[in-house]
Amino acid sequence: MTLDLAQLLPQVSQLATDAADRAADRNRRLPEAGRALEAAARLDPQALLDRIGRAGTRWRGARPTDEPVGAAYPAPPHPERLHVMGADGSQVLPDRHAIASFYLINIGSLHLIHGSGEPPQVASRPSLHFRDEDLYDETLLPIDAALVAGRRDAAEMGELARLSDSCRGESALTLLDNALLLWVALQERDQRRHAVDRILQAYLTEMGHLQQSGAALAGFVDRPGSVNALALVHLAGLPLDSVNPESLQANPFRRLLDRDLFAQRLQPGERTARFASTSPLNADFHKRGQEIQFFYLHTGYQNQIARVEVPEWVGQDSRRLGWVHAGILEQCRTTGIPYPLVRAHELAVVAQADRAALEQLLQAALLRAGLRPHISQKAQTKRWTAQRRRHRL
Amino acid sequence: MPEGRRLIGRVTRCSIRGFVGGMRLPEPDLPTFGSFCTAEAQRGQSQVIGLIYDISVEDDELARQLAIAEAPSPEARADNQFTRPVPIEIQALAVGYRSGDAYHYSLPPQPPLTLADIFPLPAAEVRRFTERLEFLALILSASQLPVDDILVAALRTAAESRPAAERRSYLVRAGQECARLLGHDLTRLDGLVRLLTV
Repeated sequence: MTLDLAQLLPQVSQLATDAADRAADRNRRLPEAGRALEAAARLDPQALLDRIGRAGTRWRGARPTDEPVGAAYPAPPHPERLHVMGADGSQVLPDRHAIASFYLINIGSLHLIHGSGEPPQVASRPSLHFRDEDLYDETLLPIDAALVAGRRDAAEMGELARLSDSCRGESALTLLDNALLLWVALQERDQRRHAVDRILQAYLTEMGHLQQSGAALAGFVDRPGSVNALALVHLAGLPLDSVNPESLQANPFRRLLDRDLFAQRLQPGERTARFASTSPLNADFHKRGQEIQFFYLHTGYQNQIARVEVPEWVGQDSRRLGWVHAGILEQCRTTGIPYPLVRAHELAVVAQADRAALEQLLQAALLRAGLRPHISQKAQTKRWTAQRRRHRL
Repeated sequence: MPEGRRLIGRVTRCSIRGFVGGMRLPEPDLPTFGSFCTAEAQRGQSQVIGLIYDISVEDDELARQLAIAEAPSPEARADNQFTRPVPIEIQALAVGYRSGDAYHYSLPPQPPLTLADIFPLPAAEVRRFTERLEFLALILSASQLPVDDILVAALRTAAESRPAAERRSYLVRAGQECARLLGHDLTRLDGLVRLLTV
């Protein structure tokens, strides 16, 4: 081990002290946040919407839906039989030091039928991307990690659409292990508009297929770091004519998270009201009939509060919303994260040994094609120093 | 990986007398007690032939988590029993090695290296290797192992690799070799023959 832990000790100790201070500060502020939420719940819904209108398009908070802001909903009954499908993906990023230019996306999925007692169906679908149009965007810039992640997200959605098609007309829940607003579009839309728009188009098309299949769709976010509901709570406490950028900035709940607030208020199995994200990207989703809404859920597993995102066509359909609520609770019962997502991740992950085997396969193919593949000298020297243990007899 | 051969493990520790391999396999692919396997040694110059004498299913964090749950769902249980690759450890006793086309019925010159692939020995090769019965002596000399059960399982595997009409005569010949090797211990020999005829 080259990391000099002795040098780090004072910083580690300081980190622990800071974390303890933050936790104490959080506990001091929580009751006030709880009272502010109750006040927001008492406010006339139109008055709340007026404040959101005044806050402008740059405000990033939770917009209420048809459900009362302070409401908590117990779990609905679980259907006797429910298809539950989870998909997750992993990738090998393009590497100019590797023996060839490519990237790989591997999608793992699991499809179980709750109530059947049958073993689930599993799949692992790798795809290799090596053509110029795969590796460069429209300005001939090399594709970056965010774009690969975006294509992986679209492929995950495609896998769920494919699986849900196999159980049309039956109760079905499809799950992703992340938020539903496409991350790459939030991050890179301004820099690589065309490439991002193509991914977004593919993603939304697959969401549409999923919607048509009759299944429910949800994104499960463990340990969410979002503060949208607290932003709303703060906004609700401001007089309408005092809503301005300065007052919005002076948020006393800034060091809290939404999940801190709802951990105090939700009983195991309960969910909050649904909210909608005010991100401009969500406006685009809304135009396509795919506005993303979210709620917080006490999964019943070690006081865990998860954020669950659903498209509006799930949020407004009590039957599909019930599958999401009850289905996630059941699937979290033993693992804290929905079981199909735990297994989908296991099926998707590309381990070091898999990478080595893939490299061998590529090397052999390149040799057969008359090429002399080799990694860069830099990559070679890293391998020399990384393999400190030798097996020589 | 040799074409058409199913990987059943990779060596995790080894010695001249045998090797241990680990892998995650779905339940239908688990090897069986008393079957033969092979792993490369000496940079491909030899193939150590092992006899599987122990198969243990390792737990992992997810399996442990499901086990302590109040009631894992039937689907999760079935997934872990039939679909999810099971982390297994197999232990094999070295009973010979192949160098080129020749079989040697003694301990190999070197053990396989860490992470060497372990494959089942194809039936045709099991038949060729077990044609001579010198491997029985290596099994009988293994210490601290249930040698008689291993020997019986190995002979059954060897017999099954042959056409049905040849199995009985093969077992009779193997029994005669056991009688020669265990002539000093008639009680044990009697037990062995009984196990073989069950």
